[in-house]
Amino acid sequence: MKDDAALFIKESTSNWKESTGLIDKLFAVAKPGAIFGEPVSDNGHTVITASEVHVGMGVGYGSGGAEGFSPPGAEEKEVEEESEETEEKPASTGYGSGYGGGGGGGGFSAGRPVAAIIIEPEGVRVEPIVDVTKLGLAFVTVLGSIFFMGSRMAKAGKRR
Amino acid sequence: MSLKDSVRYELVTGEPTTVDDTTITPETRVLSVRWPNGGWVWNRPVAVVVEQEGQIERLPIVDVTRVAQISLYGFSLFIALLTLIASLGLRRKR
Repeated sequence: MKDDAALFIKESTSNWKESTGLIDKLFAVAKPGAIFGEPVSDNGHTVITASEVHVGMGVGYGSGGAEGFSPPGAEEKEVEEESEETEEKPASTGYGSGYGGGGGGGGFSAGRPVAAIIIEPEGVRVEPIVDVTKLGLAFVTVLGSIFFMGSRMAKAGKRR
Repeated sequence: MSLKDSVRYELVTGEPTTVDDTTITPETRVLSVRWPNGGWVWNRPVAVVVEQEGQIERLPIVDVTRVAQISLYGFSLFIALLTLIASLGLRRKR
């Protein structure tokens, strides 16, 4: 049983290290290199894209263990008394013992192009990139909320 | 882990990229929150510093989508407040 426990602790430690390493990798996104793309040249023009990035991650794990089980009874008291006297760990008088553990994790990442940096023979300019889908969704939400407010106002007016 | 270590909001300057005679240095704004079992990072571009023929110019990067989104939501909030004020006025009249 002690071998099983040692193996369990060893595996748990390696999993812990792996997850910590993964979290460290997550913070590599905080570097500007992750935001600005590689320059792409064509016909004397070079384009570098700039994007916005969100990354999040979380992990969790737990473990438990037991090395022996004594059924409640008269023997338990005797064992406790003995252990106090001898200051030694009581021997398992019952049955069953084991270790268990579990873990889980989750994460997300999202990116959106914000602008294109265009290098031309005439100079450098920053061209914004508009996310039409995102704006469309925001517009529909705003329209919906205005319609909802308007209908509530109309109802309140009728009650008068 | 102290609060200063776990929450960071800073301007980060990247490695300069040279294309022909133009050198571009990117600047990004990073907000990162780290806790023992995870973290969250938001990184967005803010500007590029352009060095061309000995002249240095800082070109800001405006996130048009975000500006428009915030404007739309702000307008919606304004309408909501207006409706709330109007409905309170109606109740008082009663």
